[in-house]
Amino acid sequence: MSRKIPLLFAKTVVMLICMALLFTAMALAQTDPGVRSTTGVNAGQPFASVTANANDLAFFQTGLAQFDERQTVTGDNNGLGPRFNSDGCGQCHSQPAPGGTSPASAIFPNIGPNPQSQVIANGVVSGNTNTIPFFVHANGPVREARFPFFFNSDGTANLNNPNGGVEDLFTVSGRADAGTCSLQQPSFNAANAAGNIIFRIPTPVFGAGLMANIDDSTLQNNRANNLNNNFGIGGDFNHNGNDGTISRFGWKAQNKSLMIFAGEAYNVEMGISNELFTQDRPLPGEDGNGGTGGTGLPANCLNLAGNGYPEDITHSDGTNASTVASDVGLFNAFMQFLDQPTASTTTPGGATSIANGRALFSAIGCAVCHTASLRTQASHLTPGLGNATANLFSDLEIHHMGTGLADNVGQGGAGGDQFRTAPLWGLGQRIFFLHDGRTTDLIQAINAHDSSGSEADIPIDNFQSLSPSQQQDLLNFLRSL
Amino acid sequence: MHSGYLRFALVLAFCISLPAWGQSAGPQNTVGNGGDFSSNTHPMEKQKVPAGVILVKGAWASASDSVTPLPEGGSVTNNAFDDQYFGMTYTLPPDWIEKHKGPPPSDSGRYVLAQITPAPTYKGPARGSILITAQDMFFTPLPAANALELINYTKSTLQADYKVELKPTETRIAGHSFTFFGYWSPVAELHWYVVATQIRCHTVELVLTSRDTKLLQSLILDMDKMKLPEEAGSTTGMGGGAAPVCIKDYAREDNVIERVDPVFTERRFNPVPVRIIIDKKGKVKHIHFLSAFPEQAKAISAALGQWKFRPYLRNGQPVEVETGIMFGRAPLAATPPASGPATE
Repeated sequence: MSRKIPLLFAKTVVMLICMALLFTAMALAQTDPGVRSTTGVNAGQPFASVTANANDLAFFQTGLAQFDERQTVTGDNNGLGPRFNSDGCGQCHSQPAPGGTSPASAIFPNIGPNPQSQVIANGVVSGNTNTIPFFVHANGPVREARFPFFFNSDGTANLNNPNGGVEDLFTVSGRADAGTCSLQQPSFNAANAAGNIIFRIPTPVFGAGLMANIDDSTLQNNRANNLNNNFGIGGDFNHNGNDGTISRFGWKAQNKSLMIFAGEAYNVEMGISNELFTQDRPLPGEDGNGGTGGTGLPANCLNLAGNGYPEDITHSDGTNASTVASDVGLFNAFMQFLDQPTASTTTPGGATSIANGRALFSAIGCAVCHTASLRTQASHLTPGLGNATANLFSDLEIHHMGTGLADNVGQGGAGGDQFRTAPLWGLGQRIFFLHDGRTTDLIQAINAHDSSGSEADIPIDNFQSLSPSQQQDLLNFLRSL
Repeated sequence: MHSGYLRFALVLAFCISLPAWGQSAGPQNTVGNGGDFSSNTHPMEKQKVPAGVILVKGAWASASDSVTPLPEGGSVTNNAFDDQYFGMTYTLPPDWIEKHKGPPPSDSGRYVLAQITPAPTYKGPARGSILITAQDMFFTPLPAANALELINYTKSTLQADYKVELKPTETRIAGHSFTFFGYWSPVAELHWYVVATQIRCHTVELVLTSRDTKLLQSLILDMDKMKLPEEAGSTTGMGGGAAPVCIKDYAREDNVIERVDPVFTERRFNPVPVRIIIDKKGKVKHIHFLSAFPEQAKAISAALGQWKFRPYLRNGQPVEVETGIMFGRAPLAATPPASGPATE
């Protein structure tokens, strides 16, 4: 008995030492502070100049209401489908406020579960004719799916036949308002088995009007000056195929303007034809692309609303700007009047850590691509958009991001490994990172920039050369945005 | 008993048939193969799309033949970086490796030739990296004509985040003149040592980064073992010897005897920088597209094949000449930012 006491004491001491070492190591290791939840929602407000103008404010508010509206196949808010990813813009662009990105129930400000996971439960799609794809989860990101290649007749991917178009997740088939339209969902499981599927998550549109209002010469000058770097970073622009100017919206900067962005999303993501994209959209192979022999959507899936095309129009019988404007016009108004997110100067980690992190971000090369700010040109829309500083943390260029992030989807001038520098404003309250939402951990997102063929390899090496406390400062800075 | 069994069987058959009826309201199309549809959920592993491979490329580097060495053709083998185009061999420090290949050349003529970092087995006191780059001086948007001027421009535009440790200084490495420049970031506690020379009208830079200046100094000393072509130098490096002579803007009007413009099938708006080697008779011998879409390369190749140049004479004898032509829109030239340079 007496011999056991020293033994027990020794064991306790060893255990305490081990615990002390463990906690010390944990304290030294840098961690993602997570979504900033103590400083309120930092985005989603109109410019002060919009608020000060009753007409502009009404336009913004009507746009917001339209953005959050749920669409149906027939009825007052008609036009949905026949294929779609969601029934409302605000379903997917909601974190941390309308205009944002994928929400989550358990994370501030607790918007709710991934809405795509709820479409059968809430009756948006029929469970008899649709299943929830394997990559959609209640606590995961909203996702758009694309097949980089068309299938061969034996079900394998044809690497000589690039596809890359959006494969809408759901169909209206089986809904009471869809008549006899009967469509099957794309073959997501087969595509996954063939390694022929990639994902995209919604891009937030806070401050998008500022991005739209940066003159091409500002971007070109910024690029020319940034090429003088010792980090191995180049960079190109994606250009609009019509007029050759720099395009800037979407994961690959494939869309020229917010109006185009809105019109395309209404058509592709929700299946609603409009004055920019005037037909109901079949799947990429359904209309014969890729030599599939398809001839488009079946006749009984067209004009389901019964009003003719386009389903969304400018209303000549309207009585003011808000009632004359098309839905796409209202989305455009809402997005361009959304102010940029407000960064915190103190949270997380305190003002000193954030300031230090910002300096580190620049010193190690991140800011070559994630350009802290760019000036806008004069604005005809609202004073808040004109001659303003857009703190976007992006050069709006497309960069080679290497084999680790490549999705093998070409869009405009962007190849399968090129992505627009993601604007980082509002990052502090984003949940999912990278184009496919593969991680919620900021450190993993940073390290994913490092792979063969990536322009970011050297800045990531520099990041990894920093001490744990310096890395923590940099993470705090990013979560302060 | 028997009739009860029959009733049970009928009810069972009815129940089984219900879902089948329900299915009739389902999709009209049956799952087939092709386009967006496939019923093959168990393809053989070798039939899967290979992961981690860039199969769909945008504007990319290419060349008219696969024999002529290219700037981006260097590689690390047997612990040495070797680039035949630049005639350069650099032996890596022990326990350093090329973890990742660099990105393709940019349309501004910037190459990442190699990215060298410590191996997981490295036991040194601090991490670091060796970045080997080249800037094609025919296409640089920066106001510099050679390696010395490029480094001087870098120094003059260094951001306020950095402090100069060593002003651009002429030095000799491996028997050749280099410009040596050092700066550091107080906040990151990282130091950059840059050595630059010029080869074939490219500024070739070795950028060393670490927190440990002793490590950087030892890496610089190690570079004396580097093998370089005779032409290499801060303000020289204009080709010659085994390589063609390189001359900026040789494809100007007075040197082109016959010229055919390329016919593009698709309208693009990207810059297409092209390096060509002109043989002694004035015909285009080799074409290197730094960045071009395949259909652009095809159209430009077809056109350049018909060009005829005035042969370049050196000491009265025709020699091969290398020059650059920018097709499409040239990138904007740099204008130094308004803020002042870094302090010393």
